[in-house]
Amino acid sequence: MTTNASLTKQDGGGFGTLLRRFPFLPALLIFAVLLVLNGIFEPNSLSFRSLTGLVRTYMALMLLAVAQTYVVYAADIDLSVGAIASLVNVTIIVLMQHMGGGGLSVLAALGVGVLVGLACGLVNGFVVAALRLQAIVATFATSIFFTGLALVILPVAGMPAPTVFWRTYGGSFLGIPFVFYAAVALAILLYLLARTRLATQLLAVGDGQQAAFQSGLPVTAIRIGGYALCGVFAALAAFCITGDTASGDPLVGAKMTLFSVAAVVLGGSALSGGFGTVAGSVIAALIIGLINSLVFFAGTPSHWQNLVQGLAILAALMVGVLVSRRGRA
Amino acid sequence: MTKLKLSGVSKAYGATLALRRGDLELDTGEVHVLIGANGSGKSTLCKIVAGSVRPDAGDVLLDGRAVTVSGPRAAQALGIGIFYQELSLADHRSVAENICLPDLPKQSGFFIDRAALREKAERYIALFEAVAGAELRADTNVGDLRADQRQLVEIMKALATEAPVLIFDEPTSALDRAQVDRFFEILRDLRNDGRSIVFISHRMDEIFAIGDRVTVIRDGETIDTMAIAETTPEAVIHMMVGEQEELAAPQQAAPPAQAASTDAALTVENLTGAGFRDVSFTVRRGEILGLGGLHGQGQSALLKALFGAPPPSAGEARIARERLRTDSPRSAIAQGVAYVSGDRSRDGVITGRPILENVTPIHALRNRLVLARPGQLAEKALPALKALNTKFAGLSHSIGSLSGGNQQKIVIARWLIDKPDILLLDDPTKGIDLSAKTDLFALIRRLAEEGLAIVLYSSEDAELLNNADRILVFNGGAVSRELSGAERTRYNLYQAAYEAA
Amino acid sequence: MNRLIDIAKNPLTIALVLIAALLFLGNTLSPGFASGGQILRLLIVAALLGIVAAGQNLVILGGREGIDLSVGGVVSLSAIVAGNVMNGMDGGIPLAILACVATGALFGLFNGLGVTLLRIPPLVMTLGMLGVLQGLLVVIRQGIPSGRAAPALSEFVTRPFLLGLPGIIWLWIGVGLLMAFILHRTVFGQRIYAIGSNEQAAFMAGVPVRRTRIALFMLSGVFAAIAGLCLLGYSGSSFANVGEQYMLPSIIAVVFGGTPLSGGKGGYTGTMAGAVLLVVLQSILTTINIDESGRQMVFGATLLVLMLFYGRGRGLRA
Repeated sequence: MTTNASLTKQDGGGFGTLLRRFPFLPALLIFAVLLVLNGIFEPNSLSFRSLTGLVRTYMALMLLAVAQTYVVYAADIDLSVGAIASLVNVTIIVLMQHMGGGGLSVLAALGVGVLVGLACGLVNGFVVAALRLQAIVATFATSIFFTGLALVILPVAGMPAPTVFWRTYGGSFLGIPFVFYAAVALAILLYLLARTRLATQLLAVGDGQQAAFQSGLPVTAIRIGGYALCGVFAALAAFCITGDTASGDPLVGAKMTLFSVAAVVLGGSALSGGFGTVAGSVIAALIIGLINSLVFFAGTPSHWQNLVQGLAILAALMVGVLVSRRGRA
Repeated sequence: MTKLKLSGVSKAYGATLALRRGDLELDTGEVHVLIGANGSGKSTLCKIVAGSVRPDAGDVLLDGRAVTVSGPRAAQALGIGIFYQELSLADHRSVAENICLPDLPKQSGFFIDRAALREKAERYIALFEAVAGAELRADTNVGDLRADQRQLVEIMKALATEAPVLIFDEPTSALDRAQVDRFFEILRDLRNDGRSIVFISHRMDEIFAIGDRVTVIRDGETIDTMAIAETTPEAVIHMMVGEQEELAAPQQAAPPAQAASTDAALTVENLTGAGFRDVSFTVRRGEILGLGGLHGQGQSALLKALFGAPPPSAGEARIARERLRTDSPRSAIAQGVAYVSGDRSRDGVITGRPILENVTPIHALRNRLVLARPGQLAEKALPALKALNTKFAGLSHSIGSLSGGNQQKIVIARWLIDKPDILLLDDPTKGIDLSAKTDLFALIRRLAEEGLAIVLYSSEDAELLNNADRILVFNGGAVSRELSGAERTRYNLYQAAYEAA
Repeated sequence: MNRLIDIAKNPLTIALVLIAALLFLGNTLSPGFASGGQILRLLIVAALLGIVAAGQNLVILGGREGIDLSVGGVVSLSAIVAGNVMNGMDGGIPLAILACVATGALFGLFNGLGVTLLRIPPLVMTLGMLGVLQGLLVVIRQGIPSGRAAPALSEFVTRPFLLGLPGIIWLWIGVGLLMAFILHRTVFGQRIYAIGSNEQAAFMAGVPVRRTRIALFMLSGVFAAIAGLCLLGYSGSSFANVGEQYMLPSIIAVVFGGTPLSGGKGGYTGTMAGAVLLVVLQSILTTINIDESGRQMVFGATLLVLMLFYGRGRGLRA
């Protein structure tokens, strides 16, 4: 009786369909363009060595962006990821030092580090989802708390990491740099996580909390799960920071929080929740890295570099939001 | 045998009583129809059973045992599944994920068993295979589906709970005839398997086609339960509206159209936009033009387009001799066009703000006010509110403290301070009480007498028949027939609405 | 009785009671904490935060996840601009004020255009803008010296000006009155609340939604710029990223003042109390004898506890 023809949803064309399937496409495109530009300005920047360096430096941001993505799935946000990373960084450094810096002590410290990240995530999940405080301000408050804890554990920056730790992170096995093993492990982990019930449930909660609740999903538990996952990935990010800087610093992660949010948006995920991919966030973290190196290779005077980076990231954010909205509309 | 029994269930949201006294007895193996006017409390009753609304009082007995439904999950554990009128779908998830969302198939603890998920979803999709349309596949995103297909997915989601008690809150509103027929076949099978089904619909023919018993709710109270075989549509309608029907629908025929003057106030030519196409008509000053037809045939979209929200894509509208600019509500308002939406919580009420601020925005705009002097504004607002018999404690009280009918009066009153030339009414009485409706239509007639041109869309045929001088019947986004004078009968209206659809 | 409960649940009451309690606590821990001179010092710091929070408050009131993360950058930039324009000379003050206001308005305009025309979420837009501002600061710092505050400006901020109160307190009172006037006595103010509480209904009632929202972001920039100017007067000369400390605290002051981040509800009086509350809390923590780490932990935990006073989100079950 109703003529459905007039009500049929307009298909956004082939591009729209493609974008809905792979929301990270715009990011991938920007990534490719930046890679080419880098190659033009400095052919050497595309060498195996340089790319290894890029991945090594930005692995932490990739992981932090992934961490942020899981909470953004459910339309939440975590402004404490950087503080969690700092806390885990100083925790493992101090533990490794205390336990003698051998291989076993490193593994034990990493185990504790993951638990610390998990605990921080659970705290965030509790205050945001169970106590129903506003995520932006509540996680800002917890970030202050976590920073305080980090300062208790290591009041001043500088304690070095055991040699075995940073040598491993910076080293190679069978001719292949360690970070690439880490990257492959990350890819497998993310693939597995994408197939979990939790990932789908987080996205469903982000799509509409009320609808998810009415469908019988344990919304509060799911959101806490998202924050827990976020905490664990922030801990993994801390491992990379530690491997990269080879020292402890109670404030090392602070600057990275906002970049993690930027990477999530750049990767095509919607801050309003329900839509996005972790792959996009990983690519976006590399985009930020490539922007930084491009600005350097393009011969920008040193004090102009920050401004150009800022402008380029803002532009990329705008393009990312505009393009991915076309795909979703 | 009684499967589910509700007695004395009530629920209030702040000052608004959504459900006063809900009683319901649902037998094993029956389709039990729940019927009542908009806002009578049916949905609240259903949500209480499904656990998503916490009742203030009352008892729920399941299989003779008192139970507390502490939430949707508890309801599922107790064997209660529900179709939500507003749908509970996740737009960016696939059809399969949505169907199985309440209980995603597990694999080794953490993972989704993709094969089982698909297999389970396909089973329910197959039930509607012949009528659902090709796009409805397991891996389509729900957000890409048409309204009727989304509704089917919500039905499948409810069915997939395999619950012994199934509640369907207006599951057929967007479905076509074939889809409804298929759905009813499935319902009959379920009933014969001994499931207990609550079914809500506004369509009398559906109710009599599928129901075993019917319970009528009016103003938040259960009136009575009857066997369908022993009653008639007329009797059910009578119970729904109670003694007050005369109030809403004065029996006197609408005044003759010649009372209206001859100069055209609004001329619409070949107007086309999202949801309507090629609409042409003229409204004279002092005339009430009705828009009729089934719900969602382009009437609302047309009215919104004339108001610039969003603008039409082609065609022209003229007021007097000038071209009507429809680029935004602002310019429409500046040219003397007013628009009142039936969806007042979305389009009308400025939530949580004082009554005064809700009455004065149009006045402020049309007079380019910069300062908001409460005393001065109150002087302007009070006569407008009085003209509608609005009941309120004080202008500084929040609009949220008022009943739905009074809120709608406030929204309408904002157009009365500086009178517009053209009044577009988009189902303005949706979900408001009868006395408010009476006040409203008295005002509309008065405004027409004062020379306003009024275009009225109403989802209630009686309102159109009793108030409109002419009626354009919409069908599939276009005008299928014009009824004027003695042609304005319920029969003609129905015929034009249903024909060729 | 109901009236009493209403008053007790009012965010302003909560903030004032908490401030009084903290002052009492502070005075017990360290006698002299609540002395007149000390309170005046606290109020000066609170005024700086409060002026930034005024703009933040407007943006948040306007709804649609309104938030301005770039205020910190604008504060820093404005302090530099002012320092260079006046360069220690009283005669340069009027021009400095003009330059600051223009700077703030310009960046606010960019934010507003990005949020409305391109429909970038405010969090993303202002976050990106913050990055740009930080980069700009590096450039400016390389090219020109940071500049100095004019003596009259420093005096205005720190010395008694009228009735024993420094000029900046009077300025803050002025901002408070102006905000109250805007929000409650102008059509613009009504429109802010209207778009914040129901944007669709506001649009249908002819509110120029975009223009209003752009104006809010511009006002936020202007208020941050004025705060930057005063901050220069307070510290004598500007230093790197002075404004950063205002970004998230300005949001917290708004929340403690009873304006939820969802917008459409609240006002500036509460925010003023929220700013004072935040400053008093921080000051107590510096007074008591614990090290930085403990101070941060107590501060973070206290913020969380205080947030519980300000109404939690609605439960999912109606």
